Amino acid sequence: MLSPERLALPDYEYLAQRHVLTYMEDAVCQLLENREDISQYGIARFFTEYFNSVCQGTHILFREFSFVQATPHNRVSFLRAFWRCFRTVGKNGDLLTMKEYHCLLQLLCPDFPLELTQKAARIVLMDDAMDCLMSFSDFLFAFQIQFYYSEFLDSVAAIYEDLLSGKNPNTVIVPTSSSGQHRQRPALGEAGMLEGVEASLFYQCLENLCDRHKYSCPPPALVKEALSNVQRLTFYGFLMALSKHHGINQAPGALPDKGDLMHDPAMDEELERLLAQVPGLVNSITASPEASCLPSRTPPRVGSPWRPLHHSRKVDGESDGSTEETDESET
Amino acid sequence: MGIPPEREDVKQQVQYLSQITMKSHLLESPISKCPLYLACHHLKTERIQRDWERQGDAGSEGQKLTVCPIINGEDHLRLLNFQHNFITRIQNISNLQKLISLDLYDNQIEEISGLSTLRCLRVLLLGKNRIKKISNLENLKSLDVLDLHGNQITKIENINHLCELRVLNLARNFLSHVDNLNGLDSLTELNLRHNQITFVRDVDNLPCLQHLFLSFNNISSFDSVSCLADSSSLSDITFDGNPIAQESWYKHTVLQNMMQLRQLDMKRITEEERRMASVLAKKEEEKKRESHKQSLLKEKKRLTINNVARQWDLQQQRVANIATNEDRKDSDSAQDPCQIDGSTLSAFPEETGPLDSGLNNALQGLSVIDTYLVEVDGDTLSLYGSGALESLDRNWSVQTAGMITTVSFTFIEFDEIVHVLPKLKIKFPNSLHLKFKETNLVMLQQFNALAQLRRVDQLTIDPQGNPVVNFTLWKYYVLFRLSHFSMQKINGTEVTQNDMIMAERLFGILAHVASSELPQYRLISILGDARKKQFRYLLESKGKKPGIINEENNDSKRLVGENTNRATLNYTTRDFYNEKLEEIKEKKKFCKTYIEDLVKEATEINMKNEALQKLWPQMFIELVRDAVIEIRNKNSYMKLCLQQITDQK
Repeated sequence: MLSPERLALPDYEYLAQRHVLTYMEDAVCQLLENREDISQYGIARFFTEYFNSVCQGTHILFREFSFVQATPHNRVSFLRAFWRCFRTVGKNGDLLTMKEYHCLLQLLCPDFPLELTQKAARIVLMDDAMDCLMSFSDFLFAFQIQFYYSEFLDSVAAIYEDLLSGKNPNTVIVPTSSSGQHRQRPALGEAGMLEGVEASLFYQCLENLCDRHKYSCPPPALVKEALSNVQRLTFYGFLMALSKHHGINQAPGALPDKGDLMHDPAMDEELERLLAQVPGLVNSITASPEASCLPSRTPPRVGSPWRPLHHSRKVDGESDGSTEETDESET
Repeated sequence: MGIPPEREDVKQQVQYLSQITMKSHLLESPISKCPLYLACHHLKTERIQRDWERQGDAGSEGQKLTVCPIINGEDHLRLLNFQHNFITRIQNISNLQKLISLDLYDNQIEEISGLSTLRCLRVLLLGKNRIKKISNLENLKSLDVLDLHGNQITKIENINHLCELRVLNLARNFLSHVDNLNGLDSLTELNLRHNQITFVRDVDNLPCLQHLFLSFNNISSFDSVSCLADSSSLSDITFDGNPIAQESWYKHTVLQNMMQLRQLDMKRITEEERRMASVLAKKEEEKKRESHKQSLLKEKKRLTINNVARQWDLQQQRVANIATNEDRKDSDSAQDPCQIDGSTLSAFPEETGPLDSGLNNALQGLSVIDTYLVEVDGDTLSLYGSGALESLDRNWSVQTAGMITTVSFTFIEFDEIVHVLPKLKIKFPNSLHLKFKETNLVMLQQFNALAQLRRVDQLTIDPQGNPVVNFTLWKYYVLFRLSHFSMQKINGTEVTQNDMIMAERLFGILAHVASSELPQYRLISILGDARKKQFRYLLESKGKKPGIINEENNDSKRLVGENTNRATLNYTTRDFYNEKLEEIKEKKKFCKTYIEDLVKEATEINMKNEALQKLWPQMFIELVRDAVIEIRNKNSYMKLCLQQITDQK
């Protein structure tokens, strides 16, 4: 972090690179929004909480889409939040349609655009039969690619179109004996008849793209790896390959490994506690006083029908009702 | 006719006979038992007669007649009795031209014939034969009594010339209807018992008819005998054994329509009965008018609903068109406009097609068409069309409002319903079942809005017009978000314990994240003023150290109905949301410029600081050098300082 390079940048650029200004602006905006309430407990505390939540990744919850996509960190936090909240849906094994996943996204971000979800679904379904059902893990990784790298993907799409139509954006126009033709050889022109474009050529263009542009893109080395064993590929084939590539999925640092996708012991514990409080569940004889006062709550006792295999610790019969979740601080 | 005035005795005999005949047909007993009759000449041999009387019954078969015997030298005969024989044809009696009474009861006659010369005939008894058709009675213009009971007659015909006929007995035949009675100007009694009569006509053409017996037929409505009402002479009628007599409205309808009646079903009609009849008839009238009004209202309602449906479809189409246009604008060149557009567009033409043609026909009759409908039906309040939402503002009587347990919304945008939910909560406190049809429920989020109600027992979301039902998880989400309602039924199916568990399992973590991971100020801003108090404990506990059990928490939770950790899952309608974002834009702009200014200031200061850092060593050396140079010559320095001090004064 404390590298000499950062001192070499002019101030404004440095701040912009770290998106500090975005957060500062947003913090001040939030302050203005909730002036009366915040003034009760102090501005210093507000800023503390705000930046704490930024660090923890909870600042994007229920925020508008323009904020959620503003910085890479926001995007990562959002992906992580989505994973944590709806991992249970995936664990249950339900296959959902694109629209339903979009609904779930909207639960966390009310104005999340349908377009993005559609694009993500296209990656999973290979641009085919948009009403198909998708599994949680498939959708999640495709969505990560689409959401985290959306600008990158837009450019890639443009490049792909160019390649498909025979134009190579890479070629430097040098007058040759074949008299100033912009277009590549007919060999590539045939590409339209064969499926997709040539992998190596495609990769070259991508490399240039990554160098040229500032927004985040997948590590080029890993992209090369993903393309290593194919001759030709289509656009969605490429995206699909990206979404299946282990390294690329780990690169943003938002989601766990595919194998561990359903694995979140902390949340599972929490869920157990919540499940135990569902009214009417099998309850013990020893009803705690507070719990018995609450008409809808029964003393939590281990009666939940489903327990993860690894979870060996028994949930104690809590006597303090459901204050647990309010006391629990996030890891 | 046919009896000379000097034969007064015969005339009397005939009159007496006719009277007896009238009575005897009631008992359906042959007139042979009449003493006067026995005194008359009849053709059975005296021996047979006597035997018959001794036995008291019909004679043995071997002694029965099979043909009409030829009677010679009895041309003055007045009465002839051929009862209880096996006669198949009426013949050989054409010479008995003075005959007044002919009795062929209980024979096997199949056709009325051979009577054309009997112009004086007054009484013709052909009961219990096998006659299929009334015919060949043309010359019997003096006929007074015609008895054709117990035959196989299917139609009343060929009797229109019998203007002296007083008694006509057609009981126990195969008549299915009664008409063709005109010309019987003297008829006072008509017996039609035990037939299959379904309707009666022409009775009002009988000026003298007093007694009409229709027992044991197939009359089921008064309309089929409506001509009776127009017969002013009728005083005695029987309907027993008909389906009509079983109806609840039978008696008073008959009495009301036949004011001239004195006796019904052999019972005298009392004043009381008449009064009852008119009262009941009036009630019938009322009921009919009422039901007519009801059916008119129903029709109007149906048309209104159709109209609302039509408007709704048009509106949806418009929205869909706008949406698809926007999509086309936004989508990249590389990616084709998605297939979703195509499917939305195709859905609507199919839907409106059949609806249109039906509506066009229905709407032709109405000139003024309502655009919404509010209907209260016992315990259900039904609202059609967005205009109906305003009706919630009306002054509902406490009783009416208290009775409502079901509220049904149709053809209204859910976002509009969201705005009136608080009103619903106040005005209809007992509404426990909500139904939504064609309300554009598309997102799970929208269910969050229902959390503000007091309590919902049942929820019915009709798949028609509510795409959210197509989602796999929608029921679980509803159960999760509205868990504090302890709902009993969703879309008609009972909510089981397993459903609740599944709902919690699927979305429990969402609730946890939504409550405990939000920073305080977010909680405040999301929950809003009204519920701050409710969730005060949630806010307060944030500051507390973990592990402290707070008694207050449980108390406030007891008061609060809602499951607290999902309180932050709200729904703002799209319009409100966009409005809010618009409002924030100004603030954002300000913040941006403010921060920019701050940054500028900070960078300036930083620059200055850096510059100072760079220059300082040099400056310091200069300062020190200047000072040292100044002090080098002590004396001159001292003089300089003193000079400076004096100058200052």
